Amino acid sequence: MIKQTNIEVDREKGNFHYPTDKYAFDAGVGLSEDVVKYISGVKGEDDWLLNFRLKAHSIFEKKAMPTHWASKDLENINFDIIRYYLAQGQQPSRTWEEVPDDIKNTFERLGIPEQERKFLAGVEAQFDSEAAYSRMKEDLEKEGVIFVGSTEGLRDHPEIFKKWFGKVIPTSDNKFSALNSAVFSGGSFIYVPPGVKLAQPLQAYFRINAENFGQFERTLIIADEGAEITYMEGCTAPKFETSTLHSAVVELVALKGAKIQYITVQNWSNNVFNLVTKRAMAEEEAEVKWIDCNIGSRLTMKYPGVILRGRKARGEVLSIALANDGQHQDTGAKMVHAADETTSNVIAKSVSIGEGRSSYRGLVQMPGHLKHCKNNTECDALLINSSSQTDTYPAITVKGDENSVQHEASVSKVSAEQIFYMQQRGLNQTEAMSLYVNGFVNDLIREFPMEYSVELKRLIDLEMEGSVG
Amino acid sequence: MNSVTSTINVNNSFASTDFFNSFLEKRSWEPGWLADLRKDAWDSFNALPKAKIKDEMWRFSPRARLGYSHFDCLEESVKQIALINQSSNGAVFENFDQAILNNPNLLSHLPSCTGPELGSQESFLLGSCFSESGYVLKVNNKTKEQSPFVCKHIAPTQNRTLFQQNIITVEAFAELTLIEYFDSENEKTGGNLTNLCHINLEEGSKLTRIIIQRVNDQSTFNHLEKVELQRNAHFNGISLQLGGAQSRVESRGVIAGEGADFNNYSLSLGRKEQLFDQRTIQHHLAPNGKSNLLFKNALLDESKSIFSGLIKVDANAQNTDSFQTNRNLLLSTDAEADSLPGLEILANEVKCSHGATTSKIDEQELFYLQSRGISKSVAEKLIILGFFEEIISKAGPDDLVQSLRDIISDSFSD
Repeated sequence: MIKQTNIEVDREKGNFHYPTDKYAFDAGVGLSEDVVKYISGVKGEDDWLLNFRLKAHSIFEKKAMPTHWASKDLENINFDIIRYYLAQGQQPSRTWEEVPDDIKNTFERLGIPEQERKFLAGVEAQFDSEAAYSRMKEDLEKEGVIFVGSTEGLRDHPEIFKKWFGKVIPTSDNKFSALNSAVFSGGSFIYVPPGVKLAQPLQAYFRINAENFGQFERTLIIADEGAEITYMEGCTAPKFETSTLHSAVVELVALKGAKIQYITVQNWSNNVFNLVTKRAMAEEEAEVKWIDCNIGSRLTMKYPGVILRGRKARGEVLSIALANDGQHQDTGAKMVHAADETTSNVIAKSVSIGEGRSSYRGLVQMPGHLKHCKNNTECDALLINSSSQTDTYPAITVKGDENSVQHEASVSKVSAEQIFYMQQRGLNQTEAMSLYVNGFVNDLIREFPMEYSVELKRLIDLEMEGSVG
Repeated sequence: MNSVTSTINVNNSFASTDFFNSFLEKRSWEPGWLADLRKDAWDSFNALPKAKIKDEMWRFSPRARLGYSHFDCLEESVKQIALINQSSNGAVFENFDQAILNNPNLLSHLPSCTGPELGSQESFLLGSCFSESGYVLKVNNKTKEQSPFVCKHIAPTQNRTLFQQNIITVEAFAELTLIEYFDSENEKTGGNLTNLCHINLEEGSKLTRIIIQRVNDQSTFNHLEKVELQRNAHFNGISLQLGGAQSRVESRGVIAGEGADFNNYSLSLGRKEQLFDQRTIQHHLAPNGKSNLLFKNALLDESKSIFSGLIKVDANAQNTDSFQTNRNLLLSTDAEADSLPGLEILANEVKCSHGATTSKIDEQELFYLQSRGISKSVAEKLIILGFFEEIISKAGPDDLVQSLRDIISDSFSD
């Protein structure tokens, strides 16, 4: 029998703190119309964008918190003590030499190998709300791929991005998408021209770094007809005393026959509210795959969705959540079928450790006029300690006799026999537990690109330290 | 005693003071504590907050269809329900009014009844306040009733509402099978029947309860039940939901004692524009408990089902095995099935799972039957009966199972 004690993770391991007193632009604390105007002014935005932000701000003020179904912990967010904009006032750097030393230091501590940095196709390393370093391989540029920050995207390429900006996720979708629309800065805007297939994934590293400073990046990826792209988003955040807010909006547009794969590894520190709206639009025969891994944060609410608009479109969500003490991973998936022969697949695995809580919330919609739509959903939860919690709340609506849906969820605990077997073979209890958890999520981790799966296994080992005693 | 006729003709709103007072007057023969209880419920009903548009307990539900606005007039001539096999020595089986006079002690835990609390607080409070019908059933210690008890409920017509309260207590190590029929008085006009059911199963007791709901096509059926199981108690519920324009069934199974076993099986056959709104919870408070739920809906025409189920396992309910399954068979383009299967697990030594599937009839099965000379409609019917077989077979004795089969088969023809 396993002795059950609470897990203690040394959070100092993730303490990537560095001074924040030299920001060139600072919108102050709290949110008001003036702050929105200030942000827009600093960025030198056009009137339409300023109006977009102001309208979003008024929607944000009006919208209620979704506490009729979501965690009451949301009420602990104090919007008045958050800094909504902070940047060093620098243009995105072009070469590695131009990147300031303290940011290089951060990369060093994040453990990104030098070799890998060179290897990355285009690095958009986000330092606070501005892209501190951005580089693209020349051959990408030659192919006509646009990979810029949100400000540059809307300023330099409005003909491409304005059409889809805020269309997949309307400002009024929810309170946090409205907040993001009002104060967004940073993020990536990507356009892949027709038929271009990117062999290497694009990446952006995000950093949060100033107390009470929320990060509101905005990402829009457009894959034109037949294009293919993989985008990776990884986060680590420094440790702070009071809660910070991260509220991103990510919109993906996969036009006819395009493929988009969006990979996230989220490892915010334990005091971050991570309230993200992610949605994709898939046209005819397009394929969108969200791979989502949530390890950090205090409360994550994230339900990547795909609107299957064209015939034979396909949507997929693969999700791994690890909830430790004081954490609530409220994740899930939304699949809206809006055309014939569309298919979707959701596989979600969660591990609750100590007093952690993980929830799955799902939505599947199939209207009656559609034919031959299929959905498969599987949720598996693993509970490590007796005080761990897991919930599953799917919502499935199916109309008509030509569609089919299946949903399955199961909850299990670590098998004492298997741990005993591994201990017999000379592993200590922690190693055995780690191996078990890695085994539980293994079939999903295999779907990740190599370097991410290695990083993930390392993160799981770290989280499992001290979970058994 | 079988028919109480009254002449209440006050303007009908349940919330009106005049109406409530004349109701109390009509039942002035009741003991004071019961009148107080009704008054408390009525006060709480009037203090209910306004229904919110976004209420998770009513998600996907066309709430207006289930409300009391269509049937806001109380049934005036209350026919007490017919109870069969009440001559047993080991049990008390009386209708509500009889019990008030003869065995008021059997109503003693009425004040502590809370209902399923799955959204229909309005129905629960109105039922607690205005119920004039129902039954009280108590099976004494260690009594094993061989033949089933039968109860025939009659739903009102002429757009009236009838509230009923039923109290079932099965004492330690007693066993019973109970069959309840819900039918309308006639097919001409609709009405609303709101049925509250409080079930207490004491240590080691066993209850098999079969519901056959066939109220007419214009009626509303509201059924709210809470089943509380003590140590090693066993509940086996089988429910055939066949009638009603719209129905809402709320069921809470509470595994309060160690080793208790709660089973909840239901089938619905939806035709025309029928609506089946089903809300369930399996709540495990004690360790080593078991629960199993299986809801099957076959939906034709423009019918719709909503299944919302939750398995809740409290932190000290270790070694719980709990399962929940919802299967929907869609037989027309306009049929709709909504599923909200949920889990909330706070203990780690558990085996819990839920599954929900929605699909159409297997083309190959249909083709096979047709190639044997069976018409498509008959083939469909056969497949639906086969789909329901899994639930009917839980009823126990063969003759009972066969009679349930016949009942379902008959409901196709009208």
